[in-house]
Amino acid sequence: MSFNHETSPRSAPRRAAANKKLLLLFCGLCACALLLLGLGNSPAAAAAPRQEASPTLGPLSLDDSYCLSCHGQPGSTMKLEDGSTLDLFVDPNEYSHSIHGEKGYACVQCHRQIGEYPHAPFTAKDRRDAALQLYPACYFCHSGEYEATQDSVHARAFDAGNKEGAVCTDCHTAHAVRPINDPATGKIRPDAHLWIPETCAQCHNAIYQKYRNTVHGEALINGNPDVPTCIDCHGVHNISDPTTNQFRLNSPDICTSCHTDPKRMDKYGISTDVLTTYVSDFHGTTVTLFEKQAPDAQTNKPVCYDCHGVHDILRVDDPQKGLHVRENLLKRCQVCHPDATADFPDSWLSHYIPSPDKYPMVYYVNLFYYFFLIPVVLGGMGVLVVMDFGRSMINRFRKNPGGSSEEASHV
Amino acid sequence: MSKSNQAHSQEYVRFGISQRLEHGIFLVSFSLLGFTGLIQKFAESPISLFFIELMGGVETTRIIHHWSAIVMMLVSVYHVLVLLYKILVLRVPWTMMPWLDDLKHVLQDVAYYLGIRKQRAQYGHFTYAEKAEYLAVVWGTVLMGATGFMMWNPISTARFLPGEFIPAAKAAHGAEAILAVLAILLWHFYHVHLKTFNKSMFTGKLNREQMEHEHPVVLQQIESGAGPKPIPAETLKKRQMIYYPLAAVILVSFSFGLYAFIGYENTSITTVPRGETVEVYVRVTPVPRPTATMAPSPTPGAGVSSNSWDGSFEGLFRNRCSTCHGTTKVGGLTLAKYKDALAGGKTGPGIVPGEADKSVLVQVQQQGGHPGQLTEEELQSVIDWINAGAPEK
Repeated sequence: MSFNHETSPRSAPRRAAANKKLLLLFCGLCACALLLLGLGNSPAAAAAPRQEASPTLGPLSLDDSYCLSCHGQPGSTMKLEDGSTLDLFVDPNEYSHSIHGEKGYACVQCHRQIGEYPHAPFTAKDRRDAALQLYPACYFCHSGEYEATQDSVHARAFDAGNKEGAVCTDCHTAHAVRPINDPATGKIRPDAHLWIPETCAQCHNAIYQKYRNTVHGEALINGNPDVPTCIDCHGVHNISDPTTNQFRLNSPDICTSCHTDPKRMDKYGISTDVLTTYVSDFHGTTVTLFEKQAPDAQTNKPVCYDCHGVHDILRVDDPQKGLHVRENLLKRCQVCHPDATADFPDSWLSHYIPSPDKYPMVYYVNLFYYFFLIPVVLGGMGVLVVMDFGRSMINRFRKNPGGSSEEASHV
Repeated sequence: MSKSNQAHSQEYVRFGISQRLEHGIFLVSFSLLGFTGLIQKFAESPISLFFIELMGGVETTRIIHHWSAIVMMLVSVYHVLVLLYKILVLRVPWTMMPWLDDLKHVLQDVAYYLGIRKQRAQYGHFTYAEKAEYLAVVWGTVLMGATGFMMWNPISTARFLPGEFIPAAKAAHGAEAILAVLAILLWHFYHVHLKTFNKSMFTGKLNREQMEHEHPVVLQQIESGAGPKPIPAETLKKRQMIYYPLAAVILVSFSFGLYAFIGYENTSITTVPRGETVEVYVRVTPVPRPTATMAPSPTPGAGVSSNSWDGSFEGLFRNRCSTCHGTTKVGGLTLAKYKDALAGGKTGPGIVPGEADKSVLVQVQQQGGHPGQLTEEELQSVIDWINAGAPEK
């Protein structure tokens, strides 16, 4: 996923050139390895990593079969300081089907300090501690993504002392890393769309359970790739804290990046006027002004998700729970306007542009003013002013042609 | 020249101090309302953004707008009270009221502009331009007040009127603002600032020449001595007895109206609505990873000592060491069979019967930190067993 979301298309040619160089380098390395070690079974060297600098090839004298002779068997464990057991088993089948396994990366390319058996002593307080000691290996090849995560809400939670704050392997796993992008198109693989919420669900299961029953989640599960998954709103790697004032003020941009795009919306007959109608209303005006002028400030004026739901976003025309049902809309209004009564929801134009059919009173008030009262009043005044001014000019000229005209306008 | 000087020095009172004060306060509140309102109406334009930021944000802009509205309402009610006093008590002519004459004046002026007529219409105390403006102010203030109330108190409005009145009020409020501001700029500015700079609203006075030009009928009335006659004290008192209760009623209802305006309802909560309400961090129950099933050590059969390979140690090594030293022979060592355990691996014999110190298994285990580290108890039992000759059965 990272490839798609974080690499601008402009950098593609440069990368292609870099890949060519890397390929040459690796051909050389391959030859050296063959000569020196007499081993033909170092597939790692044959597969240049797609993205960043190549992993510095570690001691390839240790091939995976050496490691797996112990770690490939279930039941291999070690005791940790807190008395829990660390599972040392790596499923060879699972690893060989991971993106790293497929590309032939060797165990020791990540586990660089491990050395030959007997290993240097490894101690960890508990299983989490063990994972935290090992995951920085991802940085060797994926430094860009690694650094992006350092600003994320996960890293901040972690820095604040929550050791459960997600690190690379929590989402990607250690040994079963799946390729999310299709290398041919550079886009997320069709089947990978569903992996994303499932991945986040490992830690955010309550939210996922909400999401999967929403207009977006349901469509996703039914195989529709048009709908947003977690990362479309929250981003990848540098996932920001969604509870900040800033996130709240920016959130309409997230929704409208799709919902004002006719290419995406026309297919489903969804209006793309949602942003303009929101911004022209009192709520949206305030939020937009705050976003522009005080992006860190707190405002309680509603943003999209206050009415449409955060993770439980439903179709507005859902016959039971949709906002088209008046009582449902009133309930939403009452969250912020506790005293609102049955007629109150009509004070919000429901994203409609007033027309003779929808909100005719507003339509006719505008019509009356802009096509009758303002032109008639100002036009009448304008005509009289122009005539008065014209007459005074004529008088001034007649009384005192070509000269200064003190009090010429007085007849 | 002397006549002209005389004409300039002769002054006529046009506006009293109270009227000038009213105008001043109205001017300030109107300007503030128009300014703070229009920048909200066109909030997306860069100019509006600049001024809104200058004023300290949209919330402050709204507060200024609301306070200016309150000031304007106060001036308006004061004006109504004064007006009623003049009409009911002093019974002065209602000079601001437009009559058919005014329409005639417009037509006469148009004829004059077109050169059909030699001179302007003969205006009374107020010209049709002033009357039109006054009417516009009255209409505008009432409409802006009413629509402003609806926007300020949408919940209460929706109790009595269809909810759609609120966005309709907003539309009217904004459009009326454009009309009012443009009318002031076009009509008012032209007539009293551009055409001639009429300072009487600030000085209160007009000179003779201005009177001749703008209010010839009034001048004529003054000069003919047809001014208002003094009212007898008794009549005045009688009229005041009617006026004062009426004024009190108006004041009370206005005070209630103002209270309603400002504090009638709690439109909305002051806290931020909560976003996601479910627990954020909820792990799924993890799928258990495959674990080795630890085969229980077989109960020693007859003739098998518990302190023997078959009795205890085959099982111990199978459970704790066989991952590496079983089928797989890490370091060449397998502890699967007694014979192999004695033979050991690359670094030497695993078990030397009778000599635990020379047994590599013991040596490695005693260093500690081995992946399959035995507990101290287990290791001691192994040492004891080896020192006892490491019996197989």
